[in-house]
Amino acid sequence: MNRNLLYRGLLILVVVAIAAISAWPLEDKINLGLDLRGGMHLVLEVQTADAVKSEIDNAMERIVQDARDEGISTIEARREGEQIVLTGVPPERDEVIGRIRQDFLGETWDWDRVGDRIVFELTAAGRAEIRDGAVRQALQTIDNRINAYGVAEPVIAQLGSSERIAVQLPGVDDPERIRELIKNTAFLEFRLSDYPRAGGGAASREEVLSSYGGQLPDDIEILEGDVTDPEGRRIGTQFYAVTKRSVVTGRDLKNARPSLGQFNEPVVNFTFNPQGAQRFGEVTGANIGRGLAIVLDDRVVSAPTIEDRISDSGIIRGNFTNREVEDLSLVLRSGALPAGIVYLEERTVGPSLGRDSIEQGLRAGLIGFSLVVLTMLVVYKLTGINAVVALGLNVVIVFGALAYFGATLTLPGIAGIILTVGMAVDANVLVFERIREELHAGRTVKSAIDAGFSKALSSIIDANVTTLIAALFLFQFGTGPIRGFAVTLSVGIFASVFTAVFVSRWLFDLQLARRQRVERLSI
Amino acid sequence: MEFFRDTHIDFMKYRRFWVAVSLLVVAAGIFSIFVHGQLNIGIDFAGGTQITLKFAEEPEIDRLRTVLGQAGIPDAQIQRFGESGEHEVLIKTPTAEGTEEGSRDPVVEAIDRAYNEGGGAELDLNRDGVEDVADALLAADPDNVAGQGDPEAARAHYEGVADAVIEVRREEGLISSWESLAGAPGVSRAALETLRAGATLGELTVLGVENVGPQMGRELRQKGILAVVLSLVGMLLYIWFRFELRFGIGALMATVHDVIIGLFLFALAGFEFNLTTIAAFLTLVGYSVNDTVVIFDRMRENMRRTPQKPMLEVMNESLNQTLSRTVLTSGTTLIAVGSLLVLGGDVLRGFAFVLTIGILVGTYSSIYIASPFALLWEQAFGSGARGRRKGTRAPAGRSARAETPTRRNRRAS
Repeated sequence: MNRNLLYRGLLILVVVAIAAISAWPLEDKINLGLDLRGGMHLVLEVQTADAVKSEIDNAMERIVQDARDEGISTIEARREGEQIVLTGVPPERDEVIGRIRQDFLGETWDWDRVGDRIVFELTAAGRAEIRDGAVRQALQTIDNRINAYGVAEPVIAQLGSSERIAVQLPGVDDPERIRELIKNTAFLEFRLSDYPRAGGGAASREEVLSSYGGQLPDDIEILEGDVTDPEGRRIGTQFYAVTKRSVVTGRDLKNARPSLGQFNEPVVNFTFNPQGAQRFGEVTGANIGRGLAIVLDDRVVSAPTIEDRISDSGIIRGNFTNREVEDLSLVLRSGALPAGIVYLEERTVGPSLGRDSIEQGLRAGLIGFSLVVLTMLVVYKLTGINAVVALGLNVVIVFGALAYFGATLTLPGIAGIILTVGMAVDANVLVFERIREELHAGRTVKSAIDAGFSKALSSIIDANVTTLIAALFLFQFGTGPIRGFAVTLSVGIFASVFTAVFVSRWLFDLQLARRQRVERLSI
Repeated sequence: MEFFRDTHIDFMKYRRFWVAVSLLVVAAGIFSIFVHGQLNIGIDFAGGTQITLKFAEEPEIDRLRTVLGQAGIPDAQIQRFGESGEHEVLIKTPTAEGTEEGSRDPVVEAIDRAYNEGGGAELDLNRDGVEDVADALLAADPDNVAGQGDPEAARAHYEGVADAVIEVRREEGLISSWESLAGAPGVSRAALETLRAGATLGELTVLGVENVGPQMGRELRQKGILAVVLSLVGMLLYIWFRFELRFGIGALMATVHDVIIGLFLFALAGFEFNLTTIAAFLTLVGYSVNDTVVIFDRMRENMRRTPQKPMLEVMNESLNQTLSRTVLTSGTTLIAVGSLLVLGGDVLRGFAFVLTIGILVGTYSSIYIASPFALLWEQAFGSGARGRRKGTRAPAGRSARAETPTRRNRRAS
């Protein structure tokens, strides 16, 4: 056999072998998209404005606290938009304010005196830092939670440098629970009760207010909490006056896990880290007999009475169900979200829908493929076999490339492959038609084949480049499933040019080389 | 088998008639889509929630509508989905103002309440996941494994059992009877009894949810329009670069023609315009240009070979020479797309429809729109050949541009 022919044959063999090995067995090697295997795709947005706002509140509290400690007792502060406005600071004490800012707030805050007011403002860099930090922390928290819940192969990623996070969870069978789990802000605080002082709640807001003579002290606020029946159903609301400052927060937790309380009811058992334990011990030791409100996302879960000094561990009780206790422990362990999140987009596909799609796609593909093969054989007779071989290899190479590059096969992707099957023979048709024309013009078989390939090449390239341009823009534009389509279409284009030009030519040459003279071509 | 050997059809003879027909259809399409607003925009671009539910028994659409209406969700679209006998329903609700998260919770809760006797069952095998089922089994311990002192092994055991139970749901979409669980591997009779006593088989299950908030919908809309426009421009540039401007114009006209007629028929058929539709239309654009390019390629070749021939004749000759290929390629692609249309299922039906129309209209327009417009452009503005053909026609150069079209026109008409 001709050397050149042999090398080309070997190259084809290697390409096809690599493709076949990469893709076999299909069900293990091909990465299925969420729309086929079932799963959940979420795009969520971190409400970073909330994080900025709470940072401003914290800063304000800090400034006032420290200024009072420094003896500026007349200081008053309020928030105006994103500015903090201080009044009641004598101008000669400005230097103290400057020091507080230097020591506790840093360069991310600008401040200036305007008449009798001092205005603090976050710098743009400071705001960006809070924003980025919030998104990063949210990403980490969500990652922790999903890992703790146990989802195989999750993908959690920030979208560009935006405030958005995309979450992809294959094969979840309780999407609702996971959605709640991710969204749960889980900001836990322990605060001292002020009314009812010994713990528990009051029946109405008016009752609480009247106990203060209608005017709440500055450092006290009223929070609400649910009243539940023994089955955990919500039957009413209670009101609690608690300190604005928290004794410790969820940040000081070391661990939290589900456990059983003294009546065998589900509770969350938690332990503090050393700082938290020390602070918690001091406060509980000094407030025996007073209530301690456990506040989760600004709602009171329960407000038990402190019976003894507690330092490193405790329980949260609140008429929970088993599942609530599990989920609460999980979110407490994984840390609080720095700000609320909003789901902008959700796409959940149950596994049975995905299976239906695969089945339908497979059936459509097989029948389409068979009909195309039949057409080629009828139209081009024996030469049609050449095209059919090329088409078969084309499909093998497409799957091989998908597996090799770890691309994801989606439902539109399957459509892309089926479309490729139809379009792949186009290059063959272009060549074969050209060969026919040259034969009619009286050329010998060999020179007709030569001319057919060389003349059709320019059309083949042009035709495929245009489709490739469409695929490129699709890829750029698309979300998951659509990208899958763009990928299979592009891969199909490259594979079909390879098979229709290179493989098919080789098959012709092989045929020609076998016999000395070829008089007729079955085309 | 050869279909078109040595045909000599005078395609260009009736070009004015076909162009007129096409223009009428395009005008009707533009009116119906843009003025009449007939396009059914899906939630991908309009924002909204789409929920696929499967029921144990065929649900009455009217009852669902009443249930949702009473729950304060009056404008839901409810339609059957999937094959008959699968009891599947698709519920679509538009976006509520000022919310991104959609209506999944209220819709499912309302239907759950109506169909499952008050709803909110403690454990519903058609709603809850493996974790919950495993918890319930672990608490009751029907297989007596918890007492053996290894809580992790016990948990793993019941997670396996729960997974086998839920696998039935994954397979069938909905667990319709307790009997269908009997065959699940690893589920003991005692475990089954425990579930029977402590869990319910809900009347419905949520197969899929898609929610696109208004913000996301707006962005997808902008990106979609941009993608279509950019790919059109990209192809025009490529053809301009590879051929001559008049061919680029011809191909562009043909493609715009195909897209508008495709949209028109798509709207008439009542399909929903969504993300996959954009993919279908971009593919249509690619296919339409592809088909045209092959014909132009032949024209270019023939123009080089016989530069003296009038443009009109070259066009006719090229159209005839490529006819066989045009018909065959369209045929095979149509076979592939047709099988997708018939067998590919509900999700891909709109997609396959666009491509089917695209192939039919695209094949027609390659012949009756692209070439006439290329000719028209040449008659009006010259060939735009950027000197490529000057050498063959008028070596003197300068006057060639102005001269060539006039001379050719005379012969053409």
